[in-house]
Amino acid sequence: MIRSWKFWGVLSAIGAVVALFAYGFTVDPKLVPSPLVGKPAADFTVQQLNGEGALTLSDLQGTPVLLNFWASWCVACRDEAAILQEAHLLYDVAQNRLRVIGVAIQDTPEKALAFAERFGKTYFLALDDEAGTIGLDYGLYGVPETFFIDAGGRIQYKQVGAVTRELIRTMLDEMADEMASPKQEKGS
Amino acid sequence: MTPTIGYIFLTAALAVSLYGVFVPHLGVVRNNWNLIRSAQFATILNLVFVLAASAALVQAFVGDDFGVVFVWENSSSDLPLFYKVSAFWGGMDGSLLFWEVVLAGMSALVAYLYQRTNREVIPYVIVTLNIIHVFLLLLLVTYSNPLATQLPVPLEGRGLNPLLQHPAMVYHPPMLYLGYIGFSIPFAFAMGSLVRGKLDNEWVVTTRRWTLFAWYFLTMGQMLGGQWAYEELGWGGYWAWDPVENAAFMPWLTGTAFLHSVMLQEKRNMMKVWNMVLIIVTFSLSILGTFIVRSGVLNSVHAFAQSEVGPAFLIFIALAMVVAFTLLFKRIKLLESRHTAENLISKESSFLLNNLLFVGIAFTVFLGTVFPLLAEAIRGTKLSVQGPFFNTIAAPLGIALLALIGVCTLIAWRHSSWRFLVRNFRIPLGGALVAVGFSFAMGVTHGGALAVFAAAAFTATVLTLDFSKAVIVRKHQGDYAWPEAALQTVMRNQQRYGGMVLHWGVVFVFIGLAGNYFSREYNLTIPQGRTATAGEYQLLFKGFKSYQENNAQLRAAEIELYRDGELLETLLPAQSKYPTSAEPLTEVAIRRTIAHDFYLAMASENEDGSVTLRVLINPLVVWAWMGFPLFTLGVGIAILYKPKSLREPALERQYGVA
Repeated sequence: MIRSWKFWGVLSAIGAVVALFAYGFTVDPKLVPSPLVGKPAADFTVQQLNGEGALTLSDLQGTPVLLNFWASWCVACRDEAAILQEAHLLYDVAQNRLRVIGVAIQDTPEKALAFAERFGKTYFLALDDEAGTIGLDYGLYGVPETFFIDAGGRIQYKQVGAVTRELIRTMLDEMADEMASPKQEKGS
Repeated sequence: MTPTIGYIFLTAALAVSLYGVFVPHLGVVRNNWNLIRSAQFATILNLVFVLAASAALVQAFVGDDFGVVFVWENSSSDLPLFYKVSAFWGGMDGSLLFWEVVLAGMSALVAYLYQRTNREVIPYVIVTLNIIHVFLLLLLVTYSNPLATQLPVPLEGRGLNPLLQHPAMVYHPPMLYLGYIGFSIPFAFAMGSLVRGKLDNEWVVTTRRWTLFAWYFLTMGQMLGGQWAYEELGWGGYWAWDPVENAAFMPWLTGTAFLHSVMLQEKRNMMKVWNMVLIIVTFSLSILGTFIVRSGVLNSVHAFAQSEVGPAFLIFIALAMVVAFTLLFKRIKLLESRHTAENLISKESSFLLNNLLFVGIAFTVFLGTVFPLLAEAIRGTKLSVQGPFFNTIAAPLGIALLALIGVCTLIAWRHSSWRFLVRNFRIPLGGALVAVGFSFAMGVTHGGALAVFAAAAFTATVLTLDFSKAVIVRKHQGDYAWPEAALQTVMRNQQRYGGMVLHWGVVFVFIGLAGNYFSREYNLTIPQGRTATAGEYQLLFKGFKSYQENNAQLRAAEIELYRDGELLETLLPAQSKYPTSAEPLTEVAIRRTIAHDFYLAMASENEDGSVTLRVLINPLVVWAWMGFPLFTLGVGIAILYKPKSLREPALERQYGVA
């Protein structure tokens, strides 16, 4: 056994550094908490991509909304395309407890439509204006980003990167609870 | 060759590496040199195998085989051939294989070169290198297999990140790798010496060239990275203290300290423990660099996809450090030397100070890099550490190092007197004063910049005087012509004068860096056909132009640049669109002069037909790039120096004749 306090000092230092980096695996440095969580969602009105009517976000109050920002050129958007469509069919069409909306940013109508067709999307899809007004209102960092808006029109959660089935399920339950006990305040 | 055969070669490489880990030890225990020879041969065979695996990957890239996941992720059929090949190291799995190839090349060279020398330590050098091989190859055949295939085969690839489609990106990563990996060789020799308890200066002398080689490529790699950022990213700078930059900078700092302190061991038999510590730390930091890039633990602009290899790397670093330090402390009694700096005013002290400064900067950088993580772990807050923190601490220490080059050149080994110092410092100090006066007259008032110029002038004067004196002496000794006398001076002491050329490079780089203190920025919006002013320049916006370049569509603003009514140049700052990416990239236009770079980036094309430009006038940038030729020449000279090799008595007795 080495009986030198220096050796044990060095070893502890190595241990501390390794522990710190190991801790790093449990947190995501890119995840900056959005100040919008807990705040009312910014309202907007958009035309549907295929030209069939328009939608105003505030009109949807009473039902939770999954607001997904995407683009035809975004790779992770392809990964989550099936999950979103599935959520639409399952929770919106079948159960009527969630509205799924996709807003494309920095895209052209043709490319966005082609993307929607390729992945068989049937939920409400729209295109942000050229200045990216909606994207700015929601403080977008990139795509995909997804906002969960409760029935009262408040943003409950922001997901950076692709969504998962589990996330949508959990958020649906959470937003239902939220409505059951409206006094509960969520910190921002 | 198919990807599958390539993969088989990877597993074969893993097998021979495992052989290389265990058999040399067996050879030592059984006193059988043939076993050790066989392990050396296995190390060379490993290179052949990983080269074959790499050939399979290159073939997949060139042949657009998108059935290989890695090729699909990082290439597309419209990519120029040049970038198809360099996409090899454009992504995570491929760059790991590239690392393995480079290390295999170096290991094979070690196995080949030291067949008859360094016999006592070489078995464990081979073991150490093969342990690293086993680690990398284990990752390559499991988590991080660049030859993994997929079905159905996609018709088109996702494309190489357009930002990486720049010549500097082709050279920058391999150079960094050569640097990072190069330090494995002195590390392996250090471990070999510790295991065998052969703690004379042999390992230091043997690995001197390897160290220089690694240092050179790490330096070049970082400078190329800076150049890439400067020309491709469009924000006008070349260094941002980003975690990934810091990750390359930290081993460079400790490696540079090591490069200096081994000279003390070689010449004065000092700092033996310290050199061991430095090489262990440098090696660990090299691996930590890769870990930081890949693990996604720290927030960085260098967006490698987060991957599963992070924990493996962390465990490897931890094990390497624990084993290395345990070995060191077991042998520490043998290493502690009775020699210390005998006098405060001596070359020895200046080397100690040099090491203190380098390690001080390295520690600062380390702290700043991991601080966000520390803050989150302890206080749960998100924060980022930015340039000002690093600059505040690193700049003064750096300037001190610059001046120290001059001091160290002047001062003698063992003992110098104050009187001697004062006498010899008079002219260089005068040079510094002249530089400050001149800069002041030119309108430079920033304290930091003046300090750099003073230190640079001081050191430059010392280097000039020192070299001239030596050349004059030489000329008189042999009645040579001046150029021959100069050449002879350099060749008779390659270590000293190679170092001198390198230090000239350092002077130039510092002058270039000082330009940051007084760069100017303008944001201009110019309607078509109109002129705007930026400092002493006038910009006439002629109109927009569209054209195709390789696989990118460019939209450029045609700008005529005038000074005092005289047309200097037509510049074409542009935005480029690549088929695989929606975000347009900035293609800057730069007019370079000795005094400053005129740096023009197109921010946007506006609806009314006007253009918005970012103009930066960056002083002295060209000087920093002078480091490229000077470092190359300096290392080229210094590497010629051959230390008196140490004799190895009675080895045949120990192992029998091979």
